[in-house]
Amino acid sequence: MHLNQRQAATSSLCGPTILVSALTFLSNIYNYMVVNKINLTLTALADPTRRAILDRLALGPASVNELARPFKLTQQAVSKHLDYLHRAQLINKRRDGRQQFCTLNPQPFRDVIGWAEQCCRAWEESFERLDVVLEDMKRKDKKK
Amino acid sequence: MTQEIPDDPAEPQFVISRTFKAPRDLVFKAWTEPQYISRWWGPKGFTAPVVEVDFRVGGKFLFCMRSPAGNDYWNKGEYREIIVPERIVSVMHFSDAQGNFKTPADYGMAADFPLEMLDVVTFEIMDADKTLLTLRRNHTLSQARHYGEDEGWAESLERFARAVEQ
Repeated sequence: MHLNQRQAATSSLCGPTILVSALTFLSNIYNYMVVNKINLTLTALADPTRRAILDRLALGPASVNELARPFKLTQQAVSKHLDYLHRAQLINKRRDGRQQFCTLNPQPFRDVIGWAEQCCRAWEESFERLDVVLEDMKRKDKKK
Repeated sequence: MTQEIPDDPAEPQFVISRTFKAPRDLVFKAWTEPQYISRWWGPKGFTAPVVEVDFRVGGKFLFCMRSPAGNDYWNKGEYREIIVPERIVSVMHFSDAQGNFKTPADYGMAADFPLEMLDVVTFEIMDADKTLLTLRRNHTLSQARHYGEDEGWAESLERFARAVEQ
């Protein structure tokens, strides 16, 4: 369900692509259109414990007990972190009997990576044009 | 626990750098003189029909960027610090064609978009024919807390990018 919501949100962004590319150059506007969605991702990633949990989940699913073990934290504290990660859609939870298992959901990472690339692209295009201007200036300098 | 990251000008919110194959004086000139700015300002396919520059501390600039669809985006700014040919500090905001202040919302952007941006551009000599240009951008309003980022997440992202792409 989370994935469907996310896909719907992503496709609604595709329309104003040209507008986005214009404004990115000035102000990285794309940040702000996407940032509402990735705010939660980045805030979730800002915490070292939560990152460590994600590192562990990158290796494969784990139970809450297993995730709590490397940290000197109560299970309650770990559950709080897991709730946070779940709200940010970075993990999925699954109950198996009395145990709760968590798995990694990579989609929000892709959104963040896409956002980061978009941030730089407009400037890169501009810099490529500046390259051409500089070549031209160098040629004219030599003629003098 | 979520921590609030205070705005710290030492830690810009956006940094991009690029090495150009040209001497520093030339790069500085291309970055600051209108006849050159108009040739590179804006992404691919855009034109810059208006580039007015009063290049001195306290001097103003007005840029217009025209999209392939013909939409104009105006920016007005002021130079705050100039060290030829090493460093430029400037502020910039959205405007109309006369340079009157416009809010980001007037351009259809989110209401919490920064009203003004502070740019620090540096030009470093790599060798006689190579210049490193770095742009550091800060929002002058408190926007940083929306990001809640710290230096660790970039590394984390890199590791995950690898994991995700497998």
